[in-house]
Amino acid sequence: MKKIAIFVAIVALLALPYFGNNYIVRLATVMMMYSVLALSWNFIGGMAGYPSFATAAFFGIGAYVGAILQANGIFFGAAWFAAGLIALIFAAIMGRAILHLRGHYFAIASLVMVEVLREVVNTNDQITGGGMGMNIPILKISVEASGMLFYYSMFVVALLTLATASWVYHSKLGFGFRCIQQNEAAANMLGVDSTKYKTIAFSLSAVFVGMAGAIYASWVNYIEPPDVFDIFLTIKPVVMVLLGGMGTVFGPIIGAVAFLALEEIVWRNFLTIHSAVLGLLIVLLVLFLPKGALFFDYRQFFRGRKK
Amino acid sequence: MKKRALFTLAVSTLFVGLQAVGGSSSVQAAEKTIKFGAPLPLTGALAPEGIKIQRGLNLWMDTANAKGGIKVGNERYKIKIIYQDYQSNTPRAVQTAEKLITDDKVNFLFSPFGSGATKAASGVSEKYGIPTIASTASSEAVYNQGYKYLFGTFTPNITLTQPLTDMVIAKRPETKTVAILARNDFFPLAIANVMKKSAAKRNLKMVFFEKYAIGTMDHSSALVQMKAAKPDWIFATGYLNDLILIRNQMSELGVKVPVLTMVAGPAYKEFIDGTGKLAENITSAAWWHPAVRYNGKGVMGKTENFNKLFKAKYNLVPDYAEASATAAGIIFQLAIETAGTLDHKKVRDALATMDTETFFGPIKFGANGQISSLKPPVFQIRGGKPLVVYPDVIKQIDLKFGIK
Amino acid sequence: MLYLQILLNGLLLGGLYALIAVGFSLVWGVLNVINILHGTFIVLGSYIAYFAHLYFGIHPFASVIISGSVLFCLGYVIQAGIINRVVAAPVLMTLTLTFGLDLLLNNAMLIAFTADYRKLILTDSLGSYDLWGLILPLNRVAGVGLAALLTFGLYRLLRDSNIGRAIVAVRMDREAATLMGVRVNRINAVTFALGALMAGAAGSIFSIIYPISPINSGLFLGKAFVICILGGLGSVPGAMIGGIALGVIESYGALFFGPEHSTTLAFVILIALLIFRPTGIMGRKGYE
Repeated sequence: MKKIAIFVAIVALLALPYFGNNYIVRLATVMMMYSVLALSWNFIGGMAGYPSFATAAFFGIGAYVGAILQANGIFFGAAWFAAGLIALIFAAIMGRAILHLRGHYFAIASLVMVEVLREVVNTNDQITGGGMGMNIPILKISVEASGMLFYYSMFVVALLTLATASWVYHSKLGFGFRCIQQNEAAANMLGVDSTKYKTIAFSLSAVFVGMAGAIYASWVNYIEPPDVFDIFLTIKPVVMVLLGGMGTVFGPIIGAVAFLALEEIVWRNFLTIHSAVLGLLIVLLVLFLPKGALFFDYRQFFRGRKK
Repeated sequence: MKKRALFTLAVSTLFVGLQAVGGSSSVQAAEKTIKFGAPLPLTGALAPEGIKIQRGLNLWMDTANAKGGIKVGNERYKIKIIYQDYQSNTPRAVQTAEKLITDDKVNFLFSPFGSGATKAASGVSEKYGIPTIASTASSEAVYNQGYKYLFGTFTPNITLTQPLTDMVIAKRPETKTVAILARNDFFPLAIANVMKKSAAKRNLKMVFFEKYAIGTMDHSSALVQMKAAKPDWIFATGYLNDLILIRNQMSELGVKVPVLTMVAGPAYKEFIDGTGKLAENITSAAWWHPAVRYNGKGVMGKTENFNKLFKAKYNLVPDYAEASATAAGIIFQLAIETAGTLDHKKVRDALATMDTETFFGPIKFGANGQISSLKPPVFQIRGGKPLVVYPDVIKQIDLKFGIK
Repeated sequence: MLYLQILLNGLLLGGLYALIAVGFSLVWGVLNVINILHGTFIVLGSYIAYFAHLYFGIHPFASVIISGSVLFCLGYVIQAGIINRVVAAPVLMTLTLTFGLDLLLNNAMLIAFTADYRKLILTDSLGSYDLWGLILPLNRVAGVGLAALLTFGLYRLLRDSNIGRAIVAVRMDREAATLMGVRVNRINAVTFALGALMAGAAGSIFSIIYPISPINSGLFLGKAFVICILGGLGSVPGAMIGGIALGVIESYGALFFGPEHSTTLAFVILIALLIFRPTGIMGRKGYE
């Protein structure tokens, strides 16, 4: 049942660009991007229980690495891949430095990373264009073709993230993450090398986000520091995971889709009060559905309603 | 379980409600309309600017519709502007522009606010071949991308700084040194760099040149250093909040200077209200000023008439951003009426060959799409009002020196 | 003289920064709630001061009482009515909740007051005083003085009153405080309201220095975060020290590295501090 559902979903998503117009394809690309962000945050925030606010930092690094490489004539696919790699390395190094912090202090340290990177990019205008922003070379292909290219690329990254999440969840790694989340001291005594595991979780939360950032940069053609190091890019995935269910494999995707739907409907229909309406919905969801799992119990759904 | 079901019901009702709101607003009017898309920053950091553009566009739409709308061949079309908020977020502006084109199917597009967002979104309108007018983009980098469908109503930044420099030196030959403090942001930084060029051309010595980060809450260190450098001229760039803060801190720290120029803000009423007496003698330049006098074509007619209509609608004196937005609308209208069709290519050609005059000034676009015919006035705040000091034909008062 | 002037500027800025952070730190330390609303509360305080001055000619230093009381009530209602329902939930939950509330309140202010920047201009501005070449901006000095007074008031309240001691008790050990008969829900609401009061008061004082717009709320919130870490969470002296440290660092940073790097410098110091001394300059162990 579960496998059939996934298969149907993948086929439908693969066929989407042949049926939807450019706007739908664009929206679907955002949906894939949100899924990557939410799934990625879930590694460190949901599974390992460390409230990371660093998503925007990884996204921004990816966007700028991708943009700089492409501006220097590197093939876009290679640039995206390199962006993910750099984000991964950065997360591994920073993780070593700040993962010994707990709770609030870790949250703040990860948030500060976003701020520092934004300022660093802003002031190194020789390489990054600083406050003037950066233009990424436009691919010389048709509107429809470029729309499809970015959609499928984002889709592939989302699938990769999902596959990794599923694998991690059922492996020893996922068990280790959950141990850390439950009780880190006890995990250490059980022989879980918590420092190593936390660093892995943090790095996993970076690599795909970095790739998504690079694809995003190529897709919108123009980036500037306040946009790719946007604090909302950090907060939105958290809200998505809360909506969908923390620490699960499919929860973040459900949350991402639901969040995008809310955002889009509200944004289209309320010209000047959309953020208030979005705020109200978030408040209601937190107050009345604090466990996430939007609308229906999708895990039971996939299991075929067995009790 | 019951609670969850109830909640699901509540949320779905809400959804249906939201959809209904959306549905009713998109009901088509029976008469023929031309749809214009306007992605604007109506919330977020740039909201004040977005609202100005909206004011200008609405004035054009209402005035033109009251006179029967746009004449295309033998038919009359009503104007409908579809506004969409992009929350002061540039990528979102690009997304919004594309949504307006592909989803709302607008015929023509107004650019988002400022050079940065205009440059970013111009790729989209070029891709779809939608004629687009930018009412607030001045940096040449925006127009030098080789695009065919983008037109702008602001002349390059150098047309602001060069007359200013020439005039300051002509009236006060002992001016030798200049200090620049710039916000590290697209337009404020671009104009600061151009000012540097203008100053170098006139052999002014640069004694201080620093950038400050967006969101800076204190300028005292920079100002104290500037004070120590004793410049003849301070040139500060940023947006309203930055400039109000800088002016107040200058006064707090006793920074006195013969010439103080600020861009872009002093033209706005909010700046003068926010600085009070401290605004006195600040100079600035802008692409338009209510004191200019043009015998304009199009629904607004003469500049005096535009000022009057604006005052009647909003009870405000228009500033250059609002005027430019209205002008962008009129330019579209004139081009469509000349072309006699809604065909994108033909309207684009009508824009490219346009040579006319509006309340905003003479309108003629260069080969890159940027306007080439405007002569931006220089003005100084005197007695709480921005008064023109240059060019001589519309001069209202003589330039005065000394900032306390 | 330049260095001395910049030290003075830094100290004055730091005094204002401290006021931003005191309420935020208190709420975070005691309730374990990261209050995203804090920046918007400050802006609301500024608007109250602005309109009190515009319509009734009340000096912003006097309207501290009005904005403080209004925000106290608002804070009490928001905490008792909404946040308390999930106050025991993980910190991310309450953060998301206050984030949603902030979107709501900020948007409401945007519609009520528009995004246009306004500035309160004092008719009887105190001007500056030249002390042997050292310039003292008197309005700012007075504002910082008042800020210090308010902060000291809060400090005494926490130390010497019954309610204050109850707040400190809850901060130290929630369960034990409950067992000792402290009505934790009420303490939560009062603490949150006190945090809002400090934000409102800060807003009043800021109205003479900063242009006012709902857009500014994010700026204040960002500073509050940094200061809390610099000084350590939950304690009044911590916020004071953190604020002053940030003000001085930023001022000298702008001098030595240029104004565009001053915030970067502050952040770098912050990261270093987090790595080597996560409880802040003044923090004590055990409050992580």
